[in-house]
Amino acid sequence: MPVTTFTLIQNNLPVMLWGAGMTVLVSGIAIILGMPLGLVLCFGVSSSNRWVSRISRVYQSVWRGTPILVQLLIIYYLLPLIGINVPPILAAIIALTLNTIAFQAEIFRGGLQAIPPGQMEAARMVGIRIWAARRTILVPQIFRLVIPSLVNETISILKNSSLVSVIAVTELMRVSQQIVATTYRPFEIYIAAAVIYIVINLVLSLAGRTAERRLAHGT
Amino acid sequence: MAQFLDLWVQYAPLMLAGLVTTAWICALATVLGIAVGLVLACLDGIAFEPLRWAIRAYVEIMRGLPILILLFVLYYGGPSVGLRLSAGTVGVFGLGFYGAAYFAEIFRSGFQSIPKGQIEAARMAGLTGSQIIRHIKLPQMLVLITPPMVNQIIILIKESAVLSIITVAELTKNTTQFVNETYAVIQPYVAAAVLYWLLVEAVAQLGKLVERRVRF
Amino acid sequence: MATQSLEPIIRIRDLTKEFVNFSALSGISLDINPSEVVCIIGPSGSGKSTLLRCTSFLEEYTSGEVEIEGRLLGYRRGASGLVRESEQNIDAVRRNVGMVFQHFNLWPHMSVLDNVTLGPRLTKRVPAVKARELGRRALAKVGLEKFADRYPSQLSGGQQQRVGIARALAMEPHVILFDEPTSALDPQLVGEVLDTMKQLASEGITMVVVTHEMGFAAQVADRVVFMDHGKIVEQGPPAKLFNEPESPRLREFLDTWRSRNMLFQTEEPTSGRRGQGARS
Repeated sequence: MPVTTFTLIQNNLPVMLWGAGMTVLVSGIAIILGMPLGLVLCFGVSSSNRWVSRISRVYQSVWRGTPILVQLLIIYYLLPLIGINVPPILAAIIALTLNTIAFQAEIFRGGLQAIPPGQMEAARMVGIRIWAARRTILVPQIFRLVIPSLVNETISILKNSSLVSVIAVTELMRVSQQIVATTYRPFEIYIAAAVIYIVINLVLSLAGRTAERRLAHGT
Repeated sequence: MAQFLDLWVQYAPLMLAGLVTTAWICALATVLGIAVGLVLACLDGIAFEPLRWAIRAYVEIMRGLPILILLFVLYYGGPSVGLRLSAGTVGVFGLGFYGAAYFAEIFRSGFQSIPKGQIEAARMAGLTGSQIIRHIKLPQMLVLITPPMVNQIIILIKESAVLSIITVAELTKNTTQFVNETYAVIQPYVAAAVLYWLLVEAVAQLGKLVERRVRF
Repeated sequence: MATQSLEPIIRIRDLTKEFVNFSALSGISLDINPSEVVCIIGPSGSGKSTLLRCTSFLEEYTSGEVEIEGRLLGYRRGASGLVRESEQNIDAVRRNVGMVFQHFNLWPHMSVLDNVTLGPRLTKRVPAVKARELGRRALAKVGLEKFADRYPSQLSGGQQQRVGIARALAMEPHVILFDEPTSALDPQLVGEVLDTMKQLASEGITMVVVTHEMGFAAQVADRVVFMDHGKIVEQGPPAKLFNEPESPRLREFLDTWRSRNMLFQTEEPTSGRRGQGARS
């Protein structure tokens, strides 16, 4: 006897939400790791040292110019080859992080360019060392400026995380596939998954706008 | 060393075939996406609230969804509601309608960049809404929107790799086939990365050409 | 040429535009008659431009009626009051009204001739060749026929505004509205635009001009309307209004203007202003 759509969703919602939790977890770790490393890459790209700048830009070009699915597969198959055996979820996080670093660096660079160079000059003249100056003067301002773009990038990572299902990480996408395999109701299940993704992203957008407003008052 | 390069030579036809399929699908999806996006952006200017609300909802949904889910709904979920499309068709339509949301936003911000005074002068000269779009807004917008449009096309090219998951024989799928048949990892993926990079660069260069020609 | 009839070309009745905490226009009633030149003067914020823009329905208003040649603009008389018209009908009623803007609003990506001919080509379906002739004649009228193939960015402000006037003329309007046509111009360029407008007035074209140029109003206007705080305070022939202002606010306004412009007057000080001379 075919189960109604409502019952179908009701039965499977818990496990789908668990999958959504994994999605958020994997994405969240990638974003959080991505921020400091993205900043480092950003300063690398804008460095006055030719080699640092060149290598940074090559990294950016490669990781922004190729599909993330291909990057994911490379990391997944490459790591064991060079002796690093990690569970798929770790490979997924590594790939997502390496990818987001390249995009975040570009976002931060945009914020960096909006800050008058005179501020760093003043800090150096007062004797503050370069990384300390960057940390205390540039980084807070950069963050305030780029929150909308960062929110977009976070949403992007969340959507990209659906791809880690192909390397056997059980997040929302894979969970949905497994449910479909047993219930043979692809249309309803995938629509339900779609709704969950949209809700997560709406919440994110809202959080981003609130953060923007709060930080704007602080200026 | 020769053996290393041998694999590339051996699989070059397969990889290039994949590249051509990718390029072709992306081209079709781009045309579809730009057409639908332009229509949506034009409709958005009409002061009919339910329509504008629907367009807003469409854009927000497409921006909040992983494209993989959209493809799965169409390809695997489609048959149960009577929609039996080939993987390639699902790929083009999925990418196209997904991209349309982003193109619509680009067109919309382009429309808004034209000073209101020019629109008023056009209204006083008696031009209808679509005449204003065709003669006043679009010609001036083209320079402004070309970079974000090119950027979005590049994003679509990268997203197209996902089509491999619904069995479309484009570049990534052929790369996986390469890997599965030879158990090599480096040659296939390096080749794939280079080929995607070449396609992206070609589009970027084309974009710069278009930008230069569109300056008035 | 303006149609010679006895009915007013524009009829404004009880026009009101209200915002949350103030009124831009309060119960304005005004008739514009064929071949009349009406100048609207007043301090900033008095609602002069708002009145003009509501008359052309570029801005919406809270209540009142605007009739162009007997047809209601913007609204239709429905069963229970006024119903907003469709854009097509608004365009149809507005067809014979031309407008010249403070900031010219030329289309920068089109040549001068294309700017002038776009309206006739698209709205009146005039074929391209005839439209170009029409355009050149309009440009000749403002003295810019040699600039037909230039682009707006290559023209001075005064020349751009004259193109704006030619653009309005090309549509063969029955009335032209001028919204502070010289306010955005450098002083030395104001003269050429005013001269063009004087010439149009002498040909009998109906004009409504919002302006700060009192000299122009004194010389060319048939009627001057003084507005303040969203109301018409006083109106009448320029000789009367400028020489014998009745309301204290108008007197104050004219005194301020005179004291600011004393240093720049080159004509001999006379006890009054010249009457309407230039119109034949």
